[in-house]
This record gives sequence, C-alpha cells and structure tokens, in this order.
Amino acid sequence: MAGGIQWDSGAMGCAKWKGVRLSDLLNKAGLKKDAHWIGFNGKDKAAYYETPNFVRELELEELDDHVIVAYEMNGEDLPYLNGFPLRLVIPGYYSDSWVKMLSNITVTNKYKSLFFMDVAYRVPDNATESETPENKAKKTKPITNMNVKSIIGYPENGMKLYHNAHLVIRGVAFDDGHGIRQVMISTDEGKTWNEALLKQEDGRYAFTEFRFTYKPTKYGKLNIMAKAINRLGNEQPLSKDILWNHGGYKYNGIDVVEVEVV
Amino acid sequence: MKKILFISLLAFGSLFAQVQEDIEVPYISYEIKMGKGFDTVQANCLMCHSFGYIINQGPQSREFWLKKTEKMITHFKSPMMEEDIDTVVEYLFEHYGNGKEK
Repeated sequence: MAGGIQWDSGAMGCAKWKGVRLSDLLNKAGLKKDAHWIGFNGKDKAAYYETPNFVRELELEELDDHVIVAYEMNGEDLPYLNGFPLRLVIPGYYSDSWVKMLSNITVTNKYKSLFFMDVAYRVPDNATESETPENKAKKTKPITNMNVKSIIGYPENGMKLYHNAHLVIRGVAFDDGHGIRQVMISTDEGKTWNEALLKQEDGRYAFTEFRFTYKPTKYGKLNIMAKAINRLGNEQPLSKDILWNHGGYKYNGIDVVEVEVV
Repeated sequence: MKKILFISLLAFGSLFAQVQEDIEVPYISYEIKMGKGFDTVQANCLMCHSFGYIINQGPQSREFWLKKTEKMITHFKSPMMEEDIDTVVEYLFEHYGNGKEK
C-alpha cells in the first residue's frame, strides 16, 4: 500500500469554471524575453510559521489559453473551500497544481528550489512512470496530465440487485482533455466488453457520463467493470496490472463494483 | 475625474472582494487511539494538522512512520524535539502500524 491519504474514489469533481485567461494577464503585465518559470502562491498558510508555502511552479510553455484564473464556479463566487476568491484552473492537469486562494503570480528566468516542486507530488521520470518500494526511481518529475479513467457511480459495492430486473449501470469518465472515445462495460470478469452510451455536453475536459443497461440473469456475486478509452486510444489497465509508484499517484485501474444478485 | 474614479474602482474592486455570508469551515473530529506517547503526539502533530492525516495513511511500517516524522521536521519545519521522535514513532507504529519493521 502506498503511503498517504487513502482517497479511494474521493477527491474528484467536475465544475463549470469562469475566469480570466492567464495569458491575457501575462500579456497585460508584459513578460520579459527570458521569462521561463511561472510560480503560483495562495493565501492558504500553514499553521506553523516556519512551514513552507505551497508554491506551484510551472514552465511558461506548459500553459496554453485554456488556463484561467477563475473567479466563478458553477455560476457563483468560488466557495471558500474551493479557493475563494481566485483559483488557478489548469484543465487536464491533476488538481495539486490548481492553486487555491491565488495571491501571487511570479515570473522568473531561473528555477527556484521549492519543497512542493522538488520533493512532493512527483512521479518517476521513466517510460512507465513506475518504481518499486525497494528500488525507488532516482529521477522524478512533477505530476501533470491526468490519465484516462472511469468510475462506476451506480450500482455501489455490496448492493443487492434483483434477478432479471432492469439495471442501468452509470458513471463518469475523464482524461486530460483529449476526450473520451468509449466506455466499455464487462459483467464476465473482463472476458467480453460492451460499449456504454455516452453523454458529452460540457466539453472535452468535463466528465463524460456513461450508462449501460443490463439484466442480471445469474444469481449470486456479480462483478461489474468499467474501462474508458480516450481519443488517443489510451485505455485503463486492470487494477492488478497497475504499476506502482510511491504516492499511488495517477492511479487509473479499471473500476470494479461487486454486487449480489438475489 | 469620473474616468479616473471608474478606473480605480475597477483596479481596487477586486482587492476588496469580500465574502458576503458567514463562512463555516467544516470541522471533522477524528477518533484517535489512546496509549503510551499520546500526549507527545498530540502536542507535536496536532499543532499543525488533524489526526485525520495520521489515521488515513493506512497501516504502515515502523520505517514509514519514522520517515514521515522526519519529513515533518526536515520539510515542514516541525519544532519537535529530538527526544520526542522515538516516542512519536513508537506510538504511531503501535497503533497504526502493519507489524513490519520496513
């Protein structure tokens, strides 16, 4: 088990963000020719004054016009815990980079050494982004793009479902903005896969909703699996095939829900 | 003059952005196990973070807990005293350990 908070399917969400394009802000401020790094700091201070601030530093070339400084979430001011009044939104990136309560943006030509950039929130810098507990990767890189992933919302683990009754399996899928091409459902331990219906109305960064109708014909335990495939053809691996990293970062194993047909 | 006023309103408006309603920060109390060394854990860990950060790590090895404690000192600048480290690690391993040294 990787150390750290055991999130399970927690800490994910999909909201409508409105804000100012970061590129517009930078153009207004005027960047020097040798500008290279951009650092973001927020108002969320640690309890102890010597604890370093959470500063996220990115290379300017990583940022495109989709990056915004958001002042609205779902049509209202940002809720306090979501980073009121301003929050960095980097569609397609994991949200450890989405600095809340944004207070400072600093552009430099030199890289500053920062704990949250140099030590924490990093993945192995190799082809499979993996390592072993005994042999941890020496070369690492910051977490950036999201892996293709799907989550079954209904039914839930441990539910009892009626035999021969009409069941609609539902959930969401997402990736780093290439877009979801298919979500496949298996009810026979991954031997066969059938395509779910998709609902994509909110752009390629947003959750894709999926639904699949199914009638359980056998009594007893039933495993329902969901696998998303994005437009690049990247698909989720089985959880047993997931390669390890020290933080359990970017986990995107195929979701399995176990129910009982009665 | 009107123009200047308008511009300065635009410029400073955002600086004075305020929350209109009361903010209620949710409080979650985590039940932590009592035992030898608990007072030291409470004094050193709770000053910065909730017990949730301990409990939610999952059962881990003695080495894991030692490294976590060291991380708190090295990276997060915890003012924990040298002699408290053993007590804290012993407590964490006893109550939130997986029985393995490494």
